[in-house]
Amino acid sequence: MPGDAGRPAALMARDVSVRYGPVRAVREASLTVGAGQAVALIGETGSGKSSLAFAVARLLPRSARVTGRVEIAGTDVLAADWRRFRGERARLLGCVAQDAMAALNPVLPVGRQVGELFAVHAGMGRRQAAAAASAALASVRIDHPEAVARLYPHQLSGGMRQRVMVAMALALRPPLVVADEPTTALDVSTQAEILGLVAELRERVGSGLLWITHDIGVVAELADWAAVMYAGRIVETGPVEAIFDAPAHPYTEGLLLTRRDLRSGAPGSPLFQIPGAPPARPDEAPGCPFMPRCPRATAVCAAREPPLLPLAGRGEAGHQAACHHPAPPGAPPAPAPARARTAAP
Amino acid sequence: MARAMMRRLVFGLIAVTGVAVLAFLLEFVVPGDPARAIAPRAQSAAVLANIRAQLHLNQPLVVQFASYFGNLLHGDLGMSYVQRQPVAALIGPRLADTGALALAGVLAEVLIGGTLGVLAARHDRVRAAVGAVNLVLLAVPVFVLGLVLLLVFGYQLGLAPVAGGAGPAQIVLPALTLGLIGAPWYAQIVADQVQEALASNWVRTAVGKGLRDGYILRRHVLRNVLSPVLTMAGMDLGSYLSGVVTVEVVFVWPGIGLLAYNALQNLDRPVVMGTVIVGAVAVVAFNLLADLARMLADPRAREEA
Repeated sequence: MPGDAGRPAALMARDVSVRYGPVRAVREASLTVGAGQAVALIGETGSGKSSLAFAVARLLPRSARVTGRVEIAGTDVLAADWRRFRGERARLLGCVAQDAMAALNPVLPVGRQVGELFAVHAGMGRRQAAAAASAALASVRIDHPEAVARLYPHQLSGGMRQRVMVAMALALRPPLVVADEPTTALDVSTQAEILGLVAELRERVGSGLLWITHDIGVVAELADWAAVMYAGRIVETGPVEAIFDAPAHPYTEGLLLTRRDLRSGAPGSPLFQIPGAPPARPDEAPGCPFMPRCPRATAVCAAREPPLLPLAGRGEAGHQAACHHPAPPGAPPAPAPARARTAAP
Repeated sequence: MARAMMRRLVFGLIAVTGVAVLAFLLEFVVPGDPARAIAPRAQSAAVLANIRAQLHLNQPLVVQFASYFGNLLHGDLGMSYVQRQPVAALIGPRLADTGALALAGVLAEVLIGGTLGVLAARHDRVRAAVGAVNLVLLAVPVFVLGLVLLLVFGYQLGLAPVAGGAGPAQIVLPALTLGLIGAPWYAQIVADQVQEALASNWVRTAVGKGLRDGYILRRHVLRNVLSPVLTMAGMDLGSYLSGVVTVEVVFVWPGIGLLAYNALQNLDRPVVMGTVIVGAVAVVAFNLLADLARMLADPRAREEA
């Protein structure tokens, strides 16, 4: 995968599994974010994308069992001593949460919440930390940062709160930033602002970015690389252009068709919809979890779950899919025998 | 915010007036003759009539009512029937002692309840134990707990003076009694709030920022728990100031509660009225202060007001 040759990968996850009791939310997912690279992790609600992201940050509740190997900038995350890792985490990665209102302490001014990062990790005094916090707020293009620093989260707009989150995530210039659907709760124009801001800052700081989203539209604007998750597994991964131009997995094809219809479908024309719903317990059946919804399913799909393998005959290096019947390169996306419904007016 | 406070102040005044009127009327419903209480061995009706006349008890209720509340408007709480002293002079020093006890009691319940609550929120096993302790403390009557503490710490161990006077040593046991009786409520609220906070996204953010558990608890979590605790502590302070009768009687603490208790037994109406009014004012005032404290602790409450 691409990335700066000199630096270790921002994130290297190998065979990461997450289980909550008997439920396996993530199954043997492997993912690499090169130094300074932006990777999008795409999937619908319940696909395990957030579990995977929080697992690499070691921020899952104790009830979750995480196995596999995770390195952030060369530091082994899962094997590290818990106490030591807790202190180091902020230097290794910054997190931008989905709901900034819930992710900020309601009774502390935002300046304090940014400033304590500098106070704790850079040993700054109160005044110094406050000045550094204002500078961090200014770097996410917040006007009058000194005044905003004294405000509480509920006094800020959604976009401003998310900027504060971005400022905190990037404050210590970590090699990796994990963003969990940070624009979902925002209106479209604010979404675009935050996207632009993150892209610009990432470049300036040189952080790798793992952007979790269910909005495949965001991916093209932001990421170099994409990974698609379905039912706890990564089912397709590769350079963004390859995935957009020649998706191999029928689920990815479906996602792209949905998007195409949303963008260019005539008003009133039926929207494409992937038929069926994801399985509740994908690890119970032996076959491919997408099989019940798949237009190309055959007997082999019911018998064996396909492994994630490089696609033969593709120009793009690193393009992989977990499918017994990947779409041939150059083929137009196969319209599945979809249950169509009329778009809402 | 100032307007909201003004409104509450007006409501508070109405409440105090209502309580005073009700208490005044109740004293006439209660059977008993103050004159007889003052001179229990008097044989002649003339002596008793003379006492009644001196105290203006022979006048119609309306006249007594008007004269009492007329004086009250001038800040005059009247004279004690029994002790022949102005009621205000009787209440003043006792208010200070009751205040000291109330403050020590509230401090004790916040400390005991808060500690139990935090422990319960962080460890499941402690939570079960704290629940059992809470149940016991809630079930025990105040006077029983007070007597048990007296027996164990006063008589058996000799660690604290048994009774008498209002000094720093004498305050320990009554304050501890108040603290133990009040602690379960605080433990419950603090445990719930801390547990909710520890599961919140903003604590996950704080953990992600590499902050230590102790730091997160002190700077982030307890800040959020502060406002309900302050509200409760303020209300408790007000109600304790209005007289912790049982505790003061058990420990012979020379406060408002003991004064009111004795006055009730002697049918010393002006003193009863005085303690009722001072108590009502204390409750109203500390409710207001609790609201103010909550606004200081929680920026969201500031804007709601």
